[in-house]
Amino acid sequence: MSERKPKVVGFCCERHGADAVVLTARTGKQYDASVRLVQVPCTGRVDGIHILEALEKGADAVFVLGCLEKNCYYDTGSIEGRKRVGYVKSMLAEAGIEAERVEMFNAASTNAWAFPEIVSKMVEVAKRFGPIVPEGERR
Amino acid sequence: MKASIQVVICNCCVCMPSLLDVDRLIRMASEAPMVVSVRTADAVCDGKNLSEVVKEAKEREVDRAVVLACHKHDVSPALFKSYGRAGVNEYMIEVVNIREEVLLPHLADPARAQSKAETKLAAALVRVVLLKPLAKSSEAMRTKNVVVIGAGVAGQAAARVAAVAGAHTIMIEKTGKSVKAPGVLLNNTQVIGAKGYGGNITLRIEAGQKEEELECAAVIVATGGGWGTLKGPLAKACKDAIPLYKMYEQMQSGSLPSGPVVIVDTPDPTGKTMKVQDYAWDDALETAIDLKKRAPSTEVYVVFQEMRAFGLSELAYKEAAELGIKFVRYDRSATPKIDSKEPTKLVVKDFSQGELLSLRFGTLVFASIPPNKDNEEMADALRIPMTMEGSMRRGSIQRWPVTTPRPGVFVCGSALFPKSREVAKVEGEAAGTMAAEFVRRGAIEFGGAVAEVSQEKCSACLTCIRTCPYEAPFIGTASKAEIRTQLCQGCGMCVGICPSKAIDLHHYTDDQIAAETKVLLGGDF
Repeated sequence: MSERKPKVVGFCCERHGADAVVLTARTGKQYDASVRLVQVPCTGRVDGIHILEALEKGADAVFVLGCLEKNCYYDTGSIEGRKRVGYVKSMLAEAGIEAERVEMFNAASTNAWAFPEIVSKMVEVAKRFGPIVPEGERR
Repeated sequence: MKASIQVVICNCCVCMPSLLDVDRLIRMASEAPMVVSVRTADAVCDGKNLSEVVKEAKEREVDRAVVLACHKHDVSPALFKSYGRAGVNEYMIEVVNIREEVLLPHLADPARAQSKAETKLAAALVRVVLLKPLAKSSEAMRTKNVVVIGAGVAGQAAARVAAVAGAHTIMIEKTGKSVKAPGVLLNNTQVIGAKGYGGNITLRIEAGQKEEELECAAVIVATGGGWGTLKGPLAKACKDAIPLYKMYEQMQSGSLPSGPVVIVDTPDPTGKTMKVQDYAWDDALETAIDLKKRAPSTEVYVVFQEMRAFGLSELAYKEAAELGIKFVRYDRSATPKIDSKEPTKLVVKDFSQGELLSLRFGTLVFASIPPNKDNEEMADALRIPMTMEGSMRRGSIQRWPVTTPRPGVFVCGSALFPKSREVAKVEGEAAGTMAAEFVRRGAIEFGGAVAEVSQEKCSACLTCIRTCPYEAPFIGTASKAEIRTQLCQGCGMCVGICPSKAIDLHHYTDDQIAAETKVLLGGDF
C-alpha cells in the first residue's frame, strides 16, 4: 500500500490571500499538492463550523489565510478570522484533539514566498498527527 | 433540483503547459449530471473568443456555468459580460482557477495534479448547482454635489478639477479664506456629522451658530496638516519652530530667517520617535538652496532620516552640497533632541560617523506638517478608520491612493501624510477626478453578494452592529437586525460571528462552503 497522502484544507480570502496564491504560482514556486483551497470573501466569513466540518470530513489540518492585519481589505476581517481560529483551537483542545491542526496565517498580496511555507508547515502537521479518526472507523 | 450547466475549459490556461489529460476532464464533465454542454475555448478572458460558447449557451438554455481557467478577477469582466448576453446571471458562474492552483505549482507531479484538477471540477459542479441568481439594485443620486472639506492646496485643486468634470462643488472651510476655485465657498463652517452612503450623503454642518443639513453625492476630505497633533518633546521644546512653507512665505516677503537654519524631519504625532515620512524632499532642498543663495553667510543644515527627491530634483543634492549646505543623516533609534541646558542647540547622532553633533540654530524649521487634529473629528463624523499615525485610512495604498474604505468619500493632501505642495496638488486633482467620475454615474449600484438577516432567528444581540466596519447592520422597526444593502460590502464578518446564525451571505452560504469542502476532501491526491 502506498503512503497515505495528507489532507490539508485552506480557507483563503478572496483578496490578499488569493492574490498571494496566484503570485506564488506565477513566480514558479512549487508546493505540496495535498492542499485544498476553499475561497471565502474574507477570513471574517470563516465560521467555526466550517473548520470543524472540514476536520470531520477527513481533513488532517486546516489553515485560514487572510490579509495582513493592518492592511486587510475589509478593515478588521483578518482580525476576526484570527479570533474565530482561536475559538476553534480551544474547542479542539477540550475535545482532546491537537489544537495545532488548525492555524491562521496572514500574507500580503506581494508575498510570493509565504504560501509555500504555510503549505509545508501544515503538511508537516498533518503528517505528524495523521488522521483524526482512522480511515476504517469513520462513520 | 433542475439545472443546465455549461462547462468551459480555457485552452490557454488548462492546456499550457500540457500536463493535464484534458480529454479526461472533458469526459468527466460531460458524464456529470445536469451538464448540457462542454466546450473548450481559447483565452476566455477575451470576450471575442466567447461568441461560440455563448451561442451554444443560448441554444441549450444554459442557466449556470463552470469555467476552468485562471484567476477569477482576470477572467471575470469579459466572461460575465458575454454570459450576460446569454441570460446567465453573473452569480451563477463558477470560475475554477486551474492554472494557478493546480497546473503551475504542481508541474513535478502530473498524476496528483490531474487528480486535483478532477476533484476541483467535481467540487465546482456541486457548488454551481447550489448557487442562486442575485440581482443588483440601483438608486439614483439626489444631487450632483461634491463637498470639499478644507480649502487648502489640495482642496482647491480637487474643486477645480471636479468642477471642470461637471460636478457641483461646495467647499467648506473652517476659517475665512478667499479662493479662486469655482463653486460655492462656505467660510467659517464645520462638518459635525454625516449620515447616508456614497451617492446620497447628508452632512450636518455648523455655520456660525446655526446647524444645517447639506446633501451631497461625494465628499473629498482635504483637511490638511496642522500642529495640533504634535506632542513630542521636540515640539514642546521649541515653540518657535516653523514649518517649511511658512519660512518660504517669509522669504518671499523679504524677511530672511535669523541665525543658522536647521531644517529637520517632521516629528511623529505620537511623539515617541521620528518617523520616516514618505514625502518629497524637493521643496526642502529648493528652499534651502534659495536661502543659501540669498544669504550666503547663513549656515544651513538639513537633518534627515531618509531623503527622496523626485526625478530631476535629485540634481538639487549636488547644487546644495556645492553651495555649502550641510546634510546630517541621523539614526532611526536616536531621535534628535533639544539640549536641556541650551534651548538653541539640537543634538543629533550622526548615522555615518556615529558621533553626537550639537547644532546651534537660530531658526528651527520642520520640513512639513503632520496630519491635522481635525482629521480625527472628521474621520469620526464620516466614519472612516484611522491609521496608527493619526491619518485617514486609504482604500488601497497602491491601487486607490485617494479613496477611503467608504465608497464616495475621498481623501487627499496632508490629511494623509506630510507632503510638499506639489504632491498635495496632484493628489487633490486625483481626488477631484475620482469624485467627479463617481458623481457622473448618476446612480449607485449595490446588492448582489451581500448579507441578509432572517428575522425570525435574530435575537437582536447587537453583535453584528458592533462587528461590521461599514455600519451596515441596524436594528429595524421590528426590533430585529437588518442590513442596509447600500452599505454592505459583502465581507461576511457578521455572518461568521452571529451567535444565532441568523445572517446569511449570498453566494457564500454555509451549505455552499460545506459542500465544496466535502467534495474537495473526497478526492485522493
